[in-house]
Amino acid sequence: MKVDYRELVHTDRVHGSLLHDPEIFADEMERIFVQGWVFVGHESEVKNGGDWVKRQLGNESVLMVRAESGEVNVLANRCSHRGTALCWEHKGNAAFFQCTYHNWRFGLDGDLRAVPFPDGYSKPKEDLGLDRAGQIAVYRGFVFANLDGLAGTIDEHLGPAGYELIDRLCEMSPSGKIDLSKGWIGHRVQSNWKLWPESDSDGYHVGFVHASMSASTDTYYDDVAVGGDAVKSSRAVDYGRGHLELDWRPSYKKELSWLGITRDRVKEYYSALAQRVGNDLADQMLWDGPPHAFLFPNLFLGETVIAIVEPVSPGEMIHHHTSVQFDGADDAFNERLLRQTEAAVGPASFITTDDAITAERIQAGVSGTDRSWSSTSRGWIDLSRGLHREEINDDGVRSSDASDETTNRGFWYRYLDAMSGKDRH
Amino acid sequence: MISAELRAEVEDFLYREARFADEFSLEEWEALLTDDFHYWVPAGRLEGDPSKQLAYLNDNRARVATRIRQLQTGKRLSQLPNSPMRRVISNIEIEPRNDEGISVVANFVIYELAAQSSGELRVWPGQAQYRLERIAGNLRMSAKWIELVTAHAGQRNLTFLI
Repeated sequence: MKVDYRELVHTDRVHGSLLHDPEIFADEMERIFVQGWVFVGHESEVKNGGDWVKRQLGNESVLMVRAESGEVNVLANRCSHRGTALCWEHKGNAAFFQCTYHNWRFGLDGDLRAVPFPDGYSKPKEDLGLDRAGQIAVYRGFVFANLDGLAGTIDEHLGPAGYELIDRLCEMSPSGKIDLSKGWIGHRVQSNWKLWPESDSDGYHVGFVHASMSASTDTYYDDVAVGGDAVKSSRAVDYGRGHLELDWRPSYKKELSWLGITRDRVKEYYSALAQRVGNDLADQMLWDGPPHAFLFPNLFLGETVIAIVEPVSPGEMIHHHTSVQFDGADDAFNERLLRQTEAAVGPASFITTDDAITAERIQAGVSGTDRSWSSTSRGWIDLSRGLHREEINDDGVRSSDASDETTNRGFWYRYLDAMSGKDRH
Repeated sequence: MISAELRAEVEDFLYREARFADEFSLEEWEALLTDDFHYWVPAGRLEGDPSKQLAYLNDNRARVATRIRQLQTGKRLSQLPNSPMRRVISNIEIEPRNDEGISVVANFVIYELAAQSSGELRVWPGQAQYRLERIAGNLRMSAKWIELVTAHAGQRNLTFLI
């Protein structure tokens, strides 16, 4: 039976069945991950011609490849002959892709180059290239793809806010470029993938889920998030189109809070940055730090961390992360970012481990809910916090106290648009 | 060829260290460490310079102290309750070093129950490389490096002492 998403997603609440129903998961893989724009990877991961990385976009395994021409392609990791996956490693460098079944050979652009015993084919080779993403867009190295090619433009998807959030991160680099080539670390969690956009942009839980962090070490989250109602200056922001931010900037009590060190420890970085942007702007950046934001549906700009949300099945996901490295910054500064990333994010970290356990507990809690209950009062998840005090500006941007569920609601607004076909033209 | 006495002493140390970790005897475990202890679980092989890589875990002595403090707060959700767990250590190879330290390599398998959430039995196979030092007559651990068989495949929560 076709799912009516308007019955399951309301402004103030969403239904628990959205987090475990296999039919809903199948719809999502199609409507969000095939029909929509998704983040694939970063150009710095494929610096040289022939460099490739393997990625999972919903159900589809793809290869992000740098062609000899310098162009980045997103190709299906699936031989056009019998469907064999072409690559098994996470990354590599290749002059071509050759299937191990019948040795069909494909170029870095996905074109079929050669088949053994070609006399057996009357079809033109041009008809037998690899499936490829219908649309690709690259902004400041961030590679986005839309598999079916019918999603509208990247400008419509990202909107001004999506670009601005990426800008705010990249501008903090001395050269204006970031590097994401330190490798991705997978955190395997027994939860639905949608619990991570929620968790990554939820300001309400910080003081509770992460209480052990506050109790064992100095953390700037005590200043910006833990106060809840007591902290009025941090904001939960919904820019629209599912792009969200926890804007800590107004709450930082000192510069470089977000890095946990003082200016004398980052002199080289500061002077390299100031050389490009000037001292005033560099000073401001030391206060503001990089954004804590989520871009629909799978990209987390987590301050000095970047993460990809990868769905596996209704109750299984992988949160992949890597450390931002600033191009043009000194080695000691970038190593500091690596150590900060290890502390904050991943399977053995001090922070997102407790988000993982929380997501798994939510999964256990909602797994018994049924879609048919949506017509009754059972099985709902409440997301009404702050609805009465949320502000909307002239551009339609909603904002509220950082502990309010403005960001969570923002994710679900966009989700409903995608799932009910409003995203389509 | 190392002496039977040294082998027995090293094995004793490893089994004790394993039991303290399995049973969350955190203070006892921490007392086995030197002041310059390094704890490393890379997302690949045990090779290259740890400081240049992004790892699952890369703790200097101060950070491992924070890790232990966090477990001791009583608020560490991902270890409430602590995972029931037991590890088996085998294939122990011991090599004395020129600087009077001792390098040890061993295989291990940890069986962990995710009692905090799904109740899944989690299996953690790998190799541990230890560096031991003799301080005031007793063995202490100055490095524990772990190469997981699943290093490239991503991990479940790893919030116990591996």
